[in-house]
Amino acid sequence: MDLTGEFEARSYGGGATREATRLESLHLGDEFRQLALPPENAGGFTALLELPPTQAVNLLRFTDSPSSSSQAAAVTGIAPPPLHSYGTLTFPSNSVLMERAARFSTDYHQNGNVSGTSSVPSNSSVKTEPAETDSSQAVNNRSGKRKDSDKKAKSSTKKKRNKSSEENEKLPYVHVRARRGQATDSHSLAERARREKINARMKLLQELVPGCDKIQGTALVLDEIINHVQSLQRQVEMLSMRLASVNPRIDFNLDTILASENGSLMDGSFNGTAMQVVWPHQVTETEQSYHHRQLQQPQQWPFDGLNQRAWGKEEDQDHGQ
Amino acid sequence: MASADKPINTDVPEKDVFALHFLQSLSNLRRQNTFNSPEKTNDRVKKIKKAAYVSMARAAGGTNRLWSRALLRRAAKENNKIVRFPRRKKRVTCLRRRSNRRDPVEEEEAERLRNLVPGGGGMGTSKLMEETAHYIKCLSMQVKVMQCLVDGLAPK
Repeated sequence: MDLTGEFEARSYGGGATREATRLESLHLGDEFRQLALPPENAGGFTALLELPPTQAVNLLRFTDSPSSSSQAAAVTGIAPPPLHSYGTLTFPSNSVLMERAARFSTDYHQNGNVSGTSSVPSNSSVKTEPAETDSSQAVNNRSGKRKDSDKKAKSSTKKKRNKSSEENEKLPYVHVRARRGQATDSHSLAERARREKINARMKLLQELVPGCDKIQGTALVLDEIINHVQSLQRQVEMLSMRLASVNPRIDFNLDTILASENGSLMDGSFNGTAMQVVWPHQVTETEQSYHHRQLQQPQQWPFDGLNQRAWGKEEDQDHGQ
Repeated sequence: MASADKPINTDVPEKDVFALHFLQSLSNLRRQNTFNSPEKTNDRVKKIKKAAYVSMARAAGGTNRLWSRALLRRAAKENNKIVRFPRRKKRVTCLRRRSNRRDPVEEEEAERLRNLVPGGGGMGTSKLMEETAHYIKCLSMQVKVMQCLVDGLAPK
């Protein structure tokens, strides 16, 4: 009775080392080690932890069928305390399991951005290790967690998924439910990453298109983007029609075109002469930055020289006409 | 593969680059004998429009952008010219992964976008949106240039 009392008290205390010592103190040590704990020869404590299910099975086997083997008989011959101990020994293994579960969850919480902890059991390692061994560890850890919470969220709309992803990014840890080993791990991770890519680009487009910030929902935003593109293309068509109608009226001299271009391009005003001075400087700067034609004539603006360089023979032919 | 690429580059050259390319193409058009004289303005309109798009594609990215490549290739095909582009490394993998990239909810919109943006048929959804962003920027730049041109020519 005292032994069992000790057992229960200490098992709830939670130290597995104490369990090992208790086992030894029961003087069952040799037989027990032979029968139930052969794989634990490596190293008592850790081996105990590594194989709680098999240990539990072994223990249960002993409790259920004491007469199965001579060894069992030898063990049971020792007296009621061993039976009690067996009965309560299942407890320690369960508590070991519980400890492991608790430690696993805390480890997982702390594991946010740390890679490769060996104490994480197998059913989670399938998820976290492929995530953690990736190059961008933090992102993928979060994406793994996010994926899990996604699977729990059971929402089919993209918006809700976005929201849950944002929430998980802010929290330091994610509530993890016990998961089965999933075969589609890499797929769901990739799906998650791809979804994020698309969202990032959607944000970019939203900034480009005026009036898209207020809209919630990706379908409407895409509608707006499509409308914008269509309107721009229609504008191009309209302007090209106007240009076509304008063209034959004017003696389409490139000099005058460029002269008029100065004001309209630079300031939107029509100070042609004033802008002629300004234009060469600005044009040369931008041209240099983009490695296009060499318009470098900083101080002077001899138009013929420019045309000879930039336009080559075409200008001569135009003038010749 | 699961890493996101942080810098999405949608830089577009200045207005002057677009203006120069467009003006050059216009002067090329004018050199054609049949350009100014006929009363049929529809052909002229079409030619100017095509010149606008081609000059925009050249000014904006040349062959470095998917949409500009598709545009230039389409235009060259109409002229029966053969255009050669330098092979890009990622091409085969893009084709292989195409089937994996088309499952989301917004697929109809993506389809419409593909019809609008040149070269959209061969792109995955994320690439499509990148190209759309760049395309929108270039289009608006081209529209500004053409508007300035028209305004500059009109009062005379």
